[in-house]
Amino acid sequence: MRWSIIWVIFRREVRDQVRDRRTLFMIFVLPILLYPILGFTILQLSTAFEQKPRTVVVLGAERLPSNPSLLDPRGDRFARELFSSEAEESRLIVDREPATSAWGDPAKRGEALRSGKVDAVLVIPPDIGERIDQVKPIETPIIYNSVNEQSQLTYLRLREVLRRWNDEIVAARLVHDNKPESYTEPVQAPPTDVATGKQAGRNVWSRLFPFLLIIMSLTGAFYPAIDICAGEKERGTMETLLISPASRGEIVMGKFFTVLLASVLTAFLNLVSMGLTGFQLARRMSALAKSVGPGAADVIAPPSLVSSFWMVLLLIPPAAFFSAVCIALAVLAKSMKEGQYYMTPLYLISLPLIFLTLAPGVSLDPFYSLVPITGVSLLLRAIMQGDFVVARRYFLPVLIPTCVYGVLALRWAIDQFQREDVLFREAEKFDLKGWIVHLFRDKEETPGPGMALLCFVLMLSSAWFLIQWLADTSPRSMVISQVGFVLAPPLLLALLLTSSPRRTLKFYAPKIEYIAISLGLAIAIHPWGSELASWVEWIFPIPEEIRTRLGAMTANIKNPLTLLTMFAIVPGICEEIAFRGFILSGLQNRYRNVTAIVLSALLFGFLHVLLSLSQQAFNATLLGLLLGLIAVRSGSVLPGIVFHVTHNGLAVMMSKVKNPSLSTWLYRDTVNGLYQKHWLALGLAVMIVLIGRLIRNGSDRSNEAAEATDKFEAELVESAR
Amino acid sequence: MIIAERLCKSYFNYRKGWIPAVEDVSFECLPGMIFGLLGPNGAGKTTTLRMLSTVLRPTSGTAYVAGYNVLYNPAAVRSHIGYMSAGTGIYDRMSAWELVEYYGKLYGMESDRLRERMETIFDWLKMNDFRDVLGSKMSTGMKQKVSIARTIVHDPPVLIFDEPTSGLDILVVRVVLQKIEELREQGKTIIFSTHAMHEVQKLCSRVAILHRGRIQASGGVGELLDRYESSDLEDLFFKLVERGGDINTPVESVY
Repeated sequence: MRWSIIWVIFRREVRDQVRDRRTLFMIFVLPILLYPILGFTILQLSTAFEQKPRTVVVLGAERLPSNPSLLDPRGDRFARELFSSEAEESRLIVDREPATSAWGDPAKRGEALRSGKVDAVLVIPPDIGERIDQVKPIETPIIYNSVNEQSQLTYLRLREVLRRWNDEIVAARLVHDNKPESYTEPVQAPPTDVATGKQAGRNVWSRLFPFLLIIMSLTGAFYPAIDICAGEKERGTMETLLISPASRGEIVMGKFFTVLLASVLTAFLNLVSMGLTGFQLARRMSALAKSVGPGAADVIAPPSLVSSFWMVLLLIPPAAFFSAVCIALAVLAKSMKEGQYYMTPLYLISLPLIFLTLAPGVSLDPFYSLVPITGVSLLLRAIMQGDFVVARRYFLPVLIPTCVYGVLALRWAIDQFQREDVLFREAEKFDLKGWIVHLFRDKEETPGPGMALLCFVLMLSSAWFLIQWLADTSPRSMVISQVGFVLAPPLLLALLLTSSPRRTLKFYAPKIEYIAISLGLAIAIHPWGSELASWVEWIFPIPEEIRTRLGAMTANIKNPLTLLTMFAIVPGICEEIAFRGFILSGLQNRYRNVTAIVLSALLFGFLHVLLSLSQQAFNATLLGLLLGLIAVRSGSVLPGIVFHVTHNGLAVMMSKVKNPSLSTWLYRDTVNGLYQKHWLALGLAVMIVLIGRLIRNGSDRSNEAAEATDKFEAELVESAR
Repeated sequence: MIIAERLCKSYFNYRKGWIPAVEDVSFECLPGMIFGLLGPNGAGKTTTLRMLSTVLRPTSGTAYVAGYNVLYNPAAVRSHIGYMSAGTGIYDRMSAWELVEYYGKLYGMESDRLRERMETIFDWLKMNDFRDVLGSKMSTGMKQKVSIARTIVHDPPVLIFDEPTSGLDILVVRVVLQKIEELREQGKTIIFSTHAMHEVQKLCSRVAILHRGRIQASGGVGELLDRYESSDLEDLFFKLVERGGDINTPVESVY
């Protein structure tokens, strides 16, 4: 890849975008224009809404006692002492009506309330004075219209006024009867909030900002991506560009950086404009309310410079991820119009992931740190809140997966650019029947990557429906569920949709060498597996409850053979046939071996996130890499099974070692099963030698082995005839 | 020079399986010569030329362009050809000068050499009055000139013109044909596809007639007219198309 060419393409694309009015409008004009207008609107609405006083008809006002007073004796207000501020007092206007007036007629009252002439009617009973004196129950009905928002609001305010009036009556009685105030309210619970105004403000910002940042970076990436991929196809310039000496990778990278720039710029400018508008809005609102407390400026204080810096920096990885995905999608489209259609599914998938950050109670944990968009949003939130301890702990666990997803998306985009059927797509009617017929008629020897993905999705969805059995920890149901959701989908797909299930699932006898290597590796890696697990648990602790449940699972089963079957033999066979058999073969069909191994390992790790502990994901992904390498080199699924069964079997059985002298001989930390340093060193040495041997062994041995076997068998069949 | 050896290209269709677009196409084209690829719409002309320019990979067969193999050295092939497609391929938001400069840079030309070369080309094609006009404001004739300039900016030894005259008015056609002729005089290897018979008759020294993905006849223009006892190319063309009804038998093998 030549950076000079990427730079030439990038400069052209950026210039092209700058000359496009739509892009300029979306990136620069819209944020500058939109938010101030929005601010004005909110201000206008709120002032109109806030300042209008509401009218309450007090029917039979003359019956009210003078002390404690409900109404202000001089005018059309309630008594001043029933409100905490003058602004509040001015919001309720009293219309005093004698008990004999027409308001006594319920039909007329209802009419007036429904038409909105008054907002509420308070009815004072005739003997209220006497009843207060005689400590008898009193009823003052409030009539209002709940459909009308103003009436509803007036009702709530009026109720608060009456509550305070009630308190005053009680207070007067206490004085009269010479009782202390604690007589009626023995328990008081005065709250003290230690959050400073700044923190409270940050909390508001920290929920809203990551959400808006991510969504803006998606929007900012989408339109330019459509314009420079689908648009280029539509205008007929794509062909000439492809015929130039620039490689596909260089073209995609040039376009990718352009989209990335647009995405980051859109998010950044929206943020700045929104921040300034919000700041101004909060200041104006508090000025209007005339109740500027000392903390009001703090509440709306924008995030600190350090936080802002990290936010803008952290924005780049998710923006890169979106940019790559958008480019890959946009190049699928034949025209700009078709490109727009792809936006809905993209938003449908992304929005829930972003909305998660708005949900209460969701905070960073090992699982969320792996979820593509959510992880970054939550990390942004932690930084906004100034929670740098959490932010530091999850910085790499969030950033590394995000970068991996970004690179994968970019590779996908480059992949799309290398496909003739995508670049020169003609309008073709999709014919479902024809497609299904084709699926069964034109079977290939091994599945494609699409089928590999289908297999994975089938595994997940069948796992969802087998979840009852998964939760049940009895040996039988565990075996059934493993076979049902891990083994059945790849077996079925291989038998139905490929012409050589044997080759697909790598059912070949391997060289003995690979069995030996697998066995050795599984044993050598075991001490390091415990080591890694304890590191991961140190960073992402497993909740105590789950740990106890896991312990109980193995503790209840006394027969070692049952244990081995449940946790080593069955999972080993099922998972190997699924991941190193079907899925890896499918990926190998399109991608280079390295890519196929990495992708299958990621899927393997992902399955463990969903179906068991998220803490296992790291371990599983690393093992997935190794198992993939073994499968590719040996061309057989068997060495992987040997490795897997040995690995799991050791983990299960070693936890049963109870002999103290053997324990101290093996472990330096017997509780956590951490091995002595010299065992670790020995394990590492063996690992290096064996992995080195695997890597050095020729890369296309797998095909050789398979082809040799196939040929040999064909000859056998021939000679039998 | 261009050598095509039994080029085939098939597309996959869910309903019909593999459908051949180009079958068994072989020809040779030498420097200082214009090779005409004549055929109706959908005959496989564009597919053939796209295989030569490496954007489509042949299903079978191979080709050498400017001494490089399209399968094994596509990058070298791409940097030694100029390709002008049927659509002009002009960016709306770029001026004539910027566009030609952009392609020059993509071909890795030094900026001094590029500027010199561009001045020469702009003079030769008389493009100096619309150097700074944006693509969206250009007339069809202007676009065609820019497209030619873009095709030859890196001075490639091999030029591929895919229907460069389709949809143009006669004045522009004249200019385009003139310029292609001048390029031949400079010793370029030129392949030129069209469905207009008179252009072939006027320009090409050798011609291949493509119909339904197969070459029905090829050779020098005069030689072909004699062989099939036709008065002109149009007459010849219709004869071949009628006889080539059975697509599986190339006409040449019938004779």
